[in-house]
Amino acid sequence: MKIKNIINNVFKYTPNKTYNFTLPDIPRDSDNNSYNNEKSNKSQKIYTSISVNLDYIKTKYNLLINSDIISREFILNAKGKQYKALLLHIDGMVDSQILNDFVLEPLMMRNKNNLFDGEQNRVISEAITNNITVRKVKKFNLADYIENCLIPQNNIKQTDSFDEIFSGVNAGNCALFVDTLGIGFDIDIKGFKQRSIDKPENEVVIKGAHEAFVENIRTNTSLLRRFTNNENLVIENLEVGDITKTKCAVCYMQNIANSDLVAEVKYRINNLDIDSLLSVGQLEQLISDNNSLGLPKAISTERPDNAVQHILEGRVVVLVNGSPFALILPAIMIDFLTSPEDRNLKSIFANFLRGIRILAAFFSLLLPGIYVSVTSFHIEILPTELLYSILAARESVPFPIIFEILIMEISFEIIREASLRVPSPIGSTIGIVGGLVVGQAAVSAGIVSPILIIIVAITALSSFAIPDYSFSFHLRVFRFLFIFLGYIAGFLGIGIGLLVYLSIICDMESFGVSYSLPYSSMENLKNIGILLPPIWKREFRASYLATKKNRKQDDISMHWKFNKG
Amino acid sequence: MRKIEKSKKIGTISAVMLTLSIVVSYVTSSLPRAFINETKSATLLNIIYITAIVLFIILLFCRLIQKFPGLDLLDISYFLGGNLLKNIVGSCFIFYFVVSSGLMLRNFCEGLVVVYYPLTSYIFVILMFIVAIAFVNKLGFNSTLNTAAIVFPLVLISIILLFCGNLGNFSFRRIYPVLGDGFYNTFILGLKNIGAFGGICYLYFIPSMLKDPSKLKKIAVISVISTGLFIFLCVATLLFMFSFFINADEIMPLFSAARYIEFGSFFQRFESVFLLIWIISFGCYLSISCKFSTHIFNKMFKLSDMKPILNIFLILIFAISIFPKNYASSNFFEIHIYRYLRIAIGFILGMTILILANLKKKKVGDKN
Repeated sequence: MKIKNIINNVFKYTPNKTYNFTLPDIPRDSDNNSYNNEKSNKSQKIYTSISVNLDYIKTKYNLLINSDIISREFILNAKGKQYKALLLHIDGMVDSQILNDFVLEPLMMRNKNNLFDGEQNRVISEAITNNITVRKVKKFNLADYIENCLIPQNNIKQTDSFDEIFSGVNAGNCALFVDTLGIGFDIDIKGFKQRSIDKPENEVVIKGAHEAFVENIRTNTSLLRRFTNNENLVIENLEVGDITKTKCAVCYMQNIANSDLVAEVKYRINNLDIDSLLSVGQLEQLISDNNSLGLPKAISTERPDNAVQHILEGRVVVLVNGSPFALILPAIMIDFLTSPEDRNLKSIFANFLRGIRILAAFFSLLLPGIYVSVTSFHIEILPTELLYSILAARESVPFPIIFEILIMEISFEIIREASLRVPSPIGSTIGIVGGLVVGQAAVSAGIVSPILIIIVAITALSSFAIPDYSFSFHLRVFRFLFIFLGYIAGFLGIGIGLLVYLSIICDMESFGVSYSLPYSSMENLKNIGILLPPIWKREFRASYLATKKNRKQDDISMHWKFNKG
Repeated sequence: MRKIEKSKKIGTISAVMLTLSIVVSYVTSSLPRAFINETKSATLLNIIYITAIVLFIILLFCRLIQKFPGLDLLDISYFLGGNLLKNIVGSCFIFYFVVSSGLMLRNFCEGLVVVYYPLTSYIFVILMFIVAIAFVNKLGFNSTLNTAAIVFPLVLISIILLFCGNLGNFSFRRIYPVLGDGFYNTFILGLKNIGAFGGICYLYFIPSMLKDPSKLKKIAVISVISTGLFIFLCVATLLFMFSFFINADEIMPLFSAARYIEFGSFFQRFESVFLLIWIISFGCYLSISCKFSTHIFNKMFKLSDMKPILNIFLILIFAISIFPKNYASSNFFEIHIYRYLRIAIGFILGMTILILANLKKKKVGDKN
C-alpha cells in the first residue's frame, strides 16, 4: 500500500453513511403494501419444444452427474390426442405414491369417456336477441384442460418461467412440461421426511403450550395460524439467497402492526444480495440496524405461542425455511430478560423473576470487575472481618488478582464450551468435574483463592439465568472488559466503561425503536415493560410499536366481576 | 436506498434530565462548598431565594421566547443582528461550555486523585474521561441524554441515601443564625450563587430540538424547581453535618459526607459506590457540553456533519483542564472568574438578546 493511501485512509474525511429508520409516533392510515421483490434479473422463459426444455434442464441440473434429479419422459393423452411430456422431480423429496397415482396415471391413461375431438369450440353461453343468436365460446386450451381435468391435485400452478419451476422442484414439487406448450406446471406433491412437532427444548414453560417450531416453514406457518385463529394474520412469502432461494415468511396482523414497520422488514429482507441463507441467526445479523456490542436485535423463539403473542402485540415475525426458530422484530433490551413463562404467571411472581434476571445480568456483567476493583482500590467497602478473611485466603496465592480471576474465568468458559461439544450424557459430568474438581484443586494448589471461586460461580450461575442465549453471550464477553477496567482504575474504570456501554446501548435502535426502552425516554409510553401489570390491566399495546390499534382489552376486562359504567 | 430521517428530537423528561445532569456535576465537585462559604448558616435560605429568582428569570425567558416558537438563541441572535451577532453569541456560549467543562473536569479529577489515586498523575485520570467521551461523542445526540435519563435517578437515590444515612449525624442547630452573616451577605452578595443554575443555559438551545416546543415552559419550570430541590438536599446534608470551617476545606464535600454513613455490618463504607454513579453522571455532563458546543458550531457555520469537529472541542476541554498549575489555581479560576462568567454569559447575555429581539420584533410588527 502506498504511503499516500495510508495517509488518506487515516485522515481523509468520510461522510456518515448511516441508515436510519424510525417508527413514527402515529401510524400512517394508508397501508403501503406495494412492496415487491424488485429483482430485475430476467428469468428464462419455458420453450414450446419439449426437447429444448429437456436440454436446458439437463444443463441447469447437471443431469448427467446428479443422481437424485429424475426427468421422466412419457406420452400424455388429452382429448384423444397424444403429446410428448416431461416430468421433473427430485428423488426423496416427492411422495412417489402421489406422483404415480395422481399425476402420472391420469396423464398417461386414455380418457375413454371423452368424445370431444379437441378442435371444436366449447359454448359457454348462448343468447337470442332479435332473432340473432349470440354465442359465447371458449377455445380449447390444453394447459387449462390439463390443470382442470387431468391432474387431481389441489395445489398446481402454471408458469412460463424456468426460475419458478426450478424453485418449486427444489422445494419438493414436481414440474410438468408438455410439448407445444410454452408453460410448465408446478405440482405440489412434497413428501420428504421431516421432524414432527415436538416439545420446546430451550424455552421450557410449565403452564404454556408444549409445541415448538420445526424446520418446515409451512408447518410453522400453520402453527401460527392455529394459535392466531384470525383472518387478519398475513403471512407473506419472500425468497432470500441467489443459490438457496430460501423461503422466508413475514407474518403480522394487518389490522394491528404498523405498516411502516412491516414495510421496513420486507424492504430489508428483499434487499439482501447473498448466495445463501440457512438459518434465522444469519438473517438476524443481515437485517439488524447494527451489530455493535454484539447485542441481539431480534428475539429468537422456538415457541409458536410466544411468536403469536408478539404478533398480537403488533410486532412482525419472520420464519425461515429450514430453521426451527422465529425472529421477532423489533426487540428492546428488556425483552431478552423476559421469559415466555412470565405471561402465564401472576404479575407479582413474574415481576419478581424479572427483577432476579436483571440482577443476574448485572452480576454476570460486572461482579468479577467489581471484585477486582474492591480488592485492588476500594477495600474500605468491605467490613474489616471480611477483608481479613479475603486477605488471609489470598495470602497463599502468588499471582496478582487479575491473573487469578482470568485463570478462573477462562477455565470456566473452557468447561462450558467443552460440555456443549461432547455428547449430552457426558456433558453434565464434565460440568461437575470441571466445576468442582478443578475449582477445589486450584484452591488446594494455591493458584486461586476460595472467595474467587464463589465470585466465579455466582457469575456463572447468573449468566445461566438469562433467558436469551445471545444476550448471555454478550454479557460473558464484555465481562472481561470490565475486569480489565476494574483492574486499571477501580470504580473510575468501571464507571467510565459503564458510561460508554450505556451510551452505546442508548444509541442503538431495533427497527426504529430505541433499544434502551423503557429505562430511557419514558414519556407518554404505555405498557412499555418496566413492570408486567396484572393481566386485567394490560389494556394497551406497547406504545413504542406505534400500532394501528393501541388498546387490546377493555378498561374492565372482567365483566363477570365488575359492571362497566 | 429508502431512507427515513431519524428523529433527533428531545422529549420533555430528557430535557429536564439534561439540565439536572449539569447540576449533578457542579454539586459533586465543589458547588455546595461555595454556597456554604458565601452564606454560612443562611445557605438554605439563600438557595430558596436564588431558586425563586431563577424561577422568575426563567418565566421571563419563556415569555420572551414565546414569540419565537421553535427557534433557539442562535436563530434569535440572527434575527436581531444578523450573522455577526449570531457568531458572537455562538462563540461566547462555546467558550463558556468548553471552559466550564475543562475546569469542572480538572476539579473533579483532582478530587478523585486525592481520595483514591494519590500516586497517579491527574492527567491520566483526565485522559480516561477524554477517551471515554471521544467514544461517546461518536454516537447520536440523544444517546447521552438517554444515558443521563437512566443515570440521574441513581444519582438522586444516592443523594437521598446520603441524606437519610447521615440523619443521625445531623446537627440542625447549624442553620442558626438564620440570616448567617447578615441580610446583605445572604441576599445581595448571595446573588452570586445564581450561577449554580448554570444548566439553564442549555435551555436556550433546546427549543429547536424539542419534540413539542410548546412544552418549553413546563420543561424550564420543572428544571429550575428540581435543580433547586436537588441543590437544597445536597447542601442541607453538608450544612447539617459539618461546621462551616470543615466544609470550606473539603475537596469533594459530598464524598466526605458519604464516608460517615454506617450501613451496618455488611458494608463498611459505601462512598466509592456513590462515586461510581457520580463518575457516570459527570461523563454525561462532559458529553452534553461537547455535543452542545459542536451543535452551536455547526449551526454557526452551517456544517452538515458533526463528526470531523467533535473531537476538536474535546481537545480544547483537555487543554483547558490541564491549564491551571494546580488545584488551588483551578479553584481560584472557578470561584473568582468562572462563576461570574456563568452569570454573565448564561443569564445576562442570553436574556439581553431575548429582550432586544422582542423589542425588535415588536418594532417590526408595529411597522407592518
